[in-house]
Amino acid sequence: MKENVFIVHHSEIIRKGLSLILQEYFKMEITQLSSAKDLSSFSAISGSTLILILEAQADLNTKAIDLLKKNNDVYLVGFYGETSEEHFDKIFDYQLNHYSSAIQIQKLIQVIRQSGSKSKNSLQDNGELTTREKDVIKLIALGLSNKEIADKLFISIHTVISHRKNITEKLGIKSISGLTVYAIMNNLLDIQDINPEELI
Amino acid sequence: MELFRKEDKMSSLITRNYNLLPVINRFGIRLGFKEKTIAEVCQEKKIDTDFFLAIVNTYTDESYFPEAEFLSFSPVLLIDYLKNTHKYYINYVLPKIERLLNQVLQSCPENCSSLKMINTFYQKYKTELLLHLKLEDEKVFPYIINLYENKTLSAEGSFIEVIENEHTNVEVKLSDLENLIIRHLSPNYEDNAMNEFLTALLQFENDLNDHARIEDHILITQVIEFEKELKK
Ligand SMILES: [Fe+2]
Ligand SMILES: [Fe+2]
Repeated sequence: MKENVFIVHHSEIIRKGLSLILQEYFKMEITQLSSAKDLSSFSAISGSTLILILEAQADLNTKAIDLLKKNNDVYLVGFYGETSEEHFDKIFDYQLNHYSSAIQIQKLIQVIRQSGSKSKNSLQDNGELTTREKDVIKLIALGLSNKEIADKLFISIHTVISHRKNITEKLGIKSISGLTVYAIMNNLLDIQDINPEELI
Repeated sequence: MELFRKEDKMSSLITRNYNLLPVINRFGIRLGFKEKTIAEVCQEKKIDTDFFLAIVNTYTDESYFPEAEFLSFSPVLLIDYLKNTHKYYINYVLPKIERLLNQVLQSCPENCSSLKMINTFYQKYKTELLLHLKLEDEKVFPYIINLYENKTLSAEGSFIEVIENEHTNVEVKLSDLENLIIRHLSPNYEDNAMNEFLTALLQFENDLNDHARIEDHILITQVIEFEKELKK
C-alpha cells in the first residue's frame, strides 16, 4: 500500500525538522502544510496509508480528515508543544512533542507500518473463515434466506450479504449446494442435518 | 491465436489446436485429410465453409465475434450443430467423466466421505446440466425453428432470455466443483486417477463455455433481432 505522510504545523522549523528526521531512515512521500485547512485539497487520495502529523493545539480540520478516512488507512499523530500528557487528546493514535528524540519519531513509523500490515493480514486471514462466517455458512447450508440468517444471528441483512461475499472470495465457492458440501466436508455441519435429496 | 482461413490446410487446424478434434467430428469430418484445404474438405462434405470457419474460430479466439458471417446463414444450421454438440456431451463426455470419477472413488483407501460428497455434488451438477440441455433441445430450439419457418411471434411469448441466466448457474456449479477438489478436498485418492478426472473436467468446462458463448452471442442475439423485426 502507498504511504503518504503529512506534516501540518505553522512552524517551518518544526515541519522541516520532522521531515528531515523521517527521511533519514524512510523513503516516503512527505507533504508539508502550514495549516490543516490545506488538507481539504487532498481529499481525492484513496487506497493509501496516510500518516498525519498534526499540530495538536491548532484547528484540526476534522471534516477533511473524516473524508480521507473513508478511502484510506489514516493514522493521526498529535504534535504537542510540551511534554505534559494532560493535553493528550483521544482522537490521536500517537503523540510526539518538541522534545521527542529522533529515535522516538522514527520508531513511530515502524509501529504504524507493523499495525498496518497486521490489520491487512486479519482482513485476508490466510483464507481461514472467521467464527461468524462459519455460522453463516451453516445457516446457508440449512437453506435459510438472508433475512432469516440476519434474524437468527441478530445482524443486519447488509452484514449477512457482506459475510457471504467474503466467504465466496475466500473459498471460491458460490452456489448454495457447493457451500453445503464444503460445510459437511469441514464438519461444520452433519450430513444428517440436511436433506441430501433436496439440497445437494 | 491467428484465425483460420478457408485456404489453410485442414491438417493445420488440428496441429494448431487439437481441442478442435471433437468439433470437426460434429461436422462429420474425420482425420486423413492429406493436403486438402479447409474449403476443399467442406465442399466434399457439403458443409457451408463460412459457417464452419465461424465455428472453429469461435473456439480458437475467445474475442472472435463472427457477426457478419453468421447473419448470412440460417440459424437452423447452427441449431443442428448445437444439437450435435449436446449429443456428444450426453453420450460421450459425461459418461467418460463419470467413469473417471468412479476410478477416483475406487482408489480411495479409507475415510472417503468427503470424496463421496464430491460425487454427490457432481451428480447434482449433472442433473442440472441435463435439464438445461433438454430445455434447449425440446423447447428453445423448436421455438426458434418454428419462428423462422412461420415468421410470426408465438402467442405464449418468447423464452429466449431465460437461457442466459441458466448458463451462469450451470457455470457456477462447475467452477464450485473444481474449487472444492483443487482447494478444499484432502487428497485421499490415487493421484493419477484424480489427474485424469480433473483434466477431463477442465477440458469439458472449456468446451461447454465455448458452446454457451455460441448460444448466447450468436444464436440468441440473432433471434432477439429477428423477434424485434417481427414485432414491427
Ligand atoms: Fe446448449
Ligand atoms: Fe446452453
